[in-house]
Amino acid sequence: MRRTILVLVVALAAILGLGTAVIAVGGGASNVTRARLEKSLPTVFANTYVNQAHILGRHVTARSLHAKAMCDKHGPDVADVGPGGDWVCLMSWTDPQVPMPPEGYGKFELNVHSNDCFTAGGPSKLTGFLTITDTRGKEVTNPLFEFDGCFDPGADNTPTGVFFPSLFAVTSTTLTRDAKGGTSLKVNCGTGAHGCAGTVVASDGNVNLGSMPYRLKEESTGTLRLPARLPPGTKEVSFEVRPTTGAGPSGPATIPVERP
Amino acid sequence: MTATQAAPLTREAPAQAPRRHPGLGAALRFEVRKLRAQYRAWAVLLGAVLAPIPIVVIIHGQSRPPKDTLFGRFATDNGFALTLLVLGFATQWLLPLLTAIVAGDVFASEDQHGTWKTVLTRSTSRARIFWAKTLTAGGFAVLLLVLLAASTIVSSLLIVGSQPLIGLSGQTIAAGTALKLVTASWASTLAPTLGFTCLAILLSVWSRNPAVGIAAPVVLGMVMGLVGGLGGIEAIRSLLLTTPFEAWHGLLTQPRFTGPLVDGLLVCGAWSVLSLGAAFLMHRRRDITGG
Repeated sequence: MRRTILVLVVALAAILGLGTAVIAVGGGASNVTRARLEKSLPTVFANTYVNQAHILGRHVTARSLHAKAMCDKHGPDVADVGPGGDWVCLMSWTDPQVPMPPEGYGKFELNVHSNDCFTAGGPSKLTGFLTITDTRGKEVTNPLFEFDGCFDPGADNTPTGVFFPSLFAVTSTTLTRDAKGGTSLKVNCGTGAHGCAGTVVASDGNVNLGSMPYRLKEESTGTLRLPARLPPGTKEVSFEVRPTTGAGPSGPATIPVERP
Repeated sequence: MTATQAAPLTREAPAQAPRRHPGLGAALRFEVRKLRAQYRAWAVLLGAVLAPIPIVVIIHGQSRPPKDTLFGRFATDNGFALTLLVLGFATQWLLPLLTAIVAGDVFASEDQHGTWKTVLTRSTSRARIFWAKTLTAGGFAVLLLVLLAASTIVSSLLIVGSQPLIGLSGQTIAAGTALKLVTASWASTLAPTLGFTCLAILLSVWSRNPAVGIAAPVVLGMVMGLVGGLGGIEAIRSLLLTTPFEAWHGLLTQPRFTGPLVDGLLVCGAWSVLSLGAAFLMHRRRDITGG
């Protein structure tokens, strides 16, 4: 029995050693790539969309949706390869009854497994909630709320060339005066191709409070400082975003100033 | 169990071939006969036929589908999806365990009962005994998989129903095609199951201990499953014996892909040949005079 245990331990050590060696030599070569996901996800999505439309009593075809996706794994500084729960895909499609938001896409979060299968969930504004009402008035599971798909690990791996702009957004909900009477604004830049750049123009009614240029990498946050002091008695400030790179919010954001 | 079978074995052997050496067929008949006398072999086969029925009934009765596994989200109201959910579960450790119950024991039980001297002094070669035992274990694995697949498919379709299946590209698969694809998916796990059979035979010959022969393939299978699930080491993932267990995914996408099935056959073939080769050498060179 002692001999058996000894040999088992040696065998396990050998397997671990071999595994480490293989990782050292050929690590990083994964079947899960950005291009394969960008080709697979729109196909699975379009077919699932047709299923959902069928439940809702509408008629669409997978072809008419022209779905296309841009995928990214874990921010701009990480290679877009390998399994993980940190894949984000931006996808656009054409359905006259469900218009896209101004930036032109919906954001899907993917959990991609090493067996080349994934689970995707989309924005409920576009894809609906967990259950939907079918043509007979019955509550049924929404197939589009969350769906599974698998792709061919040997599929074509050439880039799809699909790019979507990052979405710039103002995240502050209130403005606080600091000791010097100024204030600052929290902003972020979402997943997308080339980050966000442009200017934010601040105003209170018709009074221009100055403009703030910004440049953010995709998937990052930042703080913009108002160039001048806030005039006393200002109750709210509206911020208009004028992007030069990436997309911005559709209208100006009006944010109240917190009373000291 | 083997010891109790030794008595009728000695009575029959001379009657069958008084002058010439008994062939592989005779050795195989003895091995099958020994297997048929084993309570646990029958228990495994009976379990493969009966266990899917309550499993299907229980999953069908769930209000929330088991979404974590592929096809789980459709399993409560689609018979085809339910068979594939059970298939996904069976490949994790069930098939390696069930085949190892016979394959891991077939050589080591002779050690356990001290019957190698009796067996190897019969007028048949060591090679014939080796192949007879291997064929018995392989045949049992095939029978087991066929029974488990048939029972799961039949009970799922009868209890849950044969609605059109949503495939892994979101496409709708008509019931007739789905039945073929589901059957093919179960059939595709035969190669890795036989790979585990050969691995269990190797461990059985090498360890001379039925416990190691049965448990070690399951543990190795789980370790391989764990390693295969890790990211960043996909170079060895394709060489693991558990990876072909998932090759059926390609049958249920649109368009279908069969690359992993072909790779899986090669990988399972390599594992089987290496395992059986090593087991054969160990078996042939083995000194039984000591005990």
